[in-house]
Amino acid sequence: MSGVRTSKAAVLWGLNQEWSLEEIEVHPPKAGEVIVHWKAAGMCHSDEHLVTGDMVPPEEMYALMGIEDFFPIIGGHEGAGVVVEVGPGVTSVQVGDHVSASFVPSCGRCRYCSTGRQNLCDNGAKTFIGGMITDDTHRHFVKGKPVTLMAKLGTFSEYACVAEQSIIKVEKDIPLECVALVSCGVATGWGSAANRAGTQAGDTVVVVGCGGIGMNAVQGARMAGAKRIIAVDPVEFKREKAMEFGATHTYSSMAEAMLPVMEMTYGQMADRVIMTPGVLEGEMMADGMNLAGKGGTVVVTAISPMTSETASVNLFQLAMWNKEIKGTIFGSLNPRADIPALLDMYRAGQLKLDELITKTYTLDQINEGYQAMRDGTNIRGVIVNA
Amino acid sequence: MKTKAAVLWELGAPWSIEEIELDAPKAGEVLVEMKASGMCHSDEHLVTGDLPFALPIIGGHEGAGIVREVGEGVSWLAPGDHVVFGFIPSCGRCPSCSTGHQNLCDLGALMGGGRQITDGGSRHHANGQDLGLMCLLGTFAHHTVVNEASCIKVEPDLPLDKMCLLGCGVVTGWGSSVYAAQVRPGDTVAVVGVGGIGANAIQGARLAGAKRIVAIDPVEFKREKAMEFGATHAASSMAEALPLLQDITWGTMANKVIMTMGVGDGQVLAEAMALASKRGRVVVTNIHPALEMTANVNLLDVTLMEKQIVGSLFGSGNPRADIPKLANLYREGQLDLDGLVTRTYPLEGINEGYEAMRKGENIRGVLVYD
Repeated sequence: MSGVRTSKAAVLWGLNQEWSLEEIEVHPPKAGEVIVHWKAAGMCHSDEHLVTGDMVPPEEMYALMGIEDFFPIIGGHEGAGVVVEVGPGVTSVQVGDHVSASFVPSCGRCRYCSTGRQNLCDNGAKTFIGGMITDDTHRHFVKGKPVTLMAKLGTFSEYACVAEQSIIKVEKDIPLECVALVSCGVATGWGSAANRAGTQAGDTVVVVGCGGIGMNAVQGARMAGAKRIIAVDPVEFKREKAMEFGATHTYSSMAEAMLPVMEMTYGQMADRVIMTPGVLEGEMMADGMNLAGKGGTVVVTAISPMTSETASVNLFQLAMWNKEIKGTIFGSLNPRADIPALLDMYRAGQLKLDELITKTYTLDQINEGYQAMRDGTNIRGVIVNA
Repeated sequence: MKTKAAVLWELGAPWSIEEIELDAPKAGEVLVEMKASGMCHSDEHLVTGDLPFALPIIGGHEGAGIVREVGEGVSWLAPGDHVVFGFIPSCGRCPSCSTGHQNLCDLGALMGGGRQITDGGSRHHANGQDLGLMCLLGTFAHHTVVNEASCIKVEPDLPLDKMCLLGCGVVTGWGSSVYAAQVRPGDTVAVVGVGGIGANAIQGARLAGAKRIVAIDPVEFKREKAMEFGATHAASSMAEALPLLQDITWGTMANKVIMTMGVGDGQVLAEAMALASKRGRVVVTNIHPALEMTANVNLLDVTLMEKQIVGSLFGSGNPRADIPKLANLYREGQLDLDGLVTRTYPLEGINEGYEAMRKGENIRGVLVYD
């Protein structure tokens, strides 16, 4: 079937508003595009960053980005679904295929895609700009206005038109809720510890913040053979959960963790520190750096406010103790290789995914789900569409 | 359309210049007017049978030209674009392409058949027969039709008669030192065989900061050329290089040994291993006969000295990243391509060119089409 579809979608009309359920129009796919029926969508903290503005460019940047307005936007960048229509020239998926979203596209041709760094694909530059990756025109309209899709995906919609570059075929035996979580949060957390931090067997690893990202950093550190995994979170429920995912110790704050980490490492401190709080404020880096020992690595995974320009880092210590600070997006993994690889770890029983899901919601319960995230009662909430 | 091509009809035969029929490009394919093609040793391996590809075949896999027509769905190339062919296609989606190993793209499995990636068919015909394409390319021709996965766009200011060498030999040699051997500043490197690959292994080792580069080749002309490309010492054989390396390294030997002979020989690997230091890395880049099943290696030496043997295809580089990267190194004077080309020939001079290669008279011979 082809033609214009109508779809329910959660739309954000401006900062600090609730998600608004709207009926949108989804136009048919052009060359290199497909229509996906999203079956599951993770309610990730990054979509909340749209609401709070941490991840919204200031208005003076709009002209630079070539956009007139950031809003309205359909949220959701973690998702999994079924392909229901393909445009001309699409060769990697067909109707009926199960697919994972990928919040960074992978064109397969740019310098970064060509050197094993698909997480840095040049087409990622278009993440917050409306229109399609393929030709910059719109396929989605709400109340007659073009509407932007979070990360060119808009998984808080029943249907969306997305570029072939943004989806990855997955096997049908894996539940789509699990695929949705792997598409961003699981890969980001797991990769932060197992890949970007370079965790080796026998290491001591501190994970700061145990939400949807941190919990998977704990899993990544465990799989990479960490001897001790210290999980830091103010919420007791999350500390308890962290132990189930492989943490060996938990503390409610970095300050509280400082002395015990010193004791358990005979003063050498942690080999790796992974920063995965809900929002990373620059002044949190001082404690993060102090938790790392000589030659230690601090990985910055969490979202800091976009316009924040300072962080508390003692550069004398950084130099004299040969420490390193490394940023990461998507755990520095390659979506096309690593989303299927992580799903196979789940299949083999090495990666916990079912246990991450605290509660599922319908699309119209989205605001309830985000309130639970703010209250710290969910590790992960997932929207499930019939 | 009709065009001219050099076809190999049977093993051991000379290249036959034919007028061939060329079909229009189908979806995902492009028609390219070739401007130049390297005469690589691997095409000679087709003639000798070391590379057992299906015949008849149009040779040539180091090519550069200008796009004249694009098939349906090709969105990133347009008529007039200058392209270099990667001798291995890169789909951009398979596990290898997705992890920075485009040189191992799954589409490489189709190379032996020489038919189009899209539908397994042939766009090239002569004497009523379908023709295969060396490496899915067939650059010994004035025009060809290839898959977009084989095309890498380059800036139009770059000379195509030099750029063609980036499609295989230059990156293969340069990457063998830089990527596969991982030459570090201060290393001592031995390069065994100074042809089109070895000369670039020397250039790669030099740029990566090698302290000493020992070039090994029986032909005096090549040893002289090696010094121009950055070698610091030359020897006519590995036997002669052994005492030389012992002397200049105070007995610690070469950190990296790059094997870039015309044809590899499992019998001589032991000599190469003897040139390598403790933890030394021996990179096998040259083509060995497909059916050779043994090599001389003292495995106790491998264990106790922690020596490593590493295979390398296309210098372990990524066509889409490394062809533009080396083109820029050429433009900025950091990579010598002009000095590689000993002689140029028209398509009709191909057999003469290969005869010169067999005699060791050319570092690189290049076919240039007008």
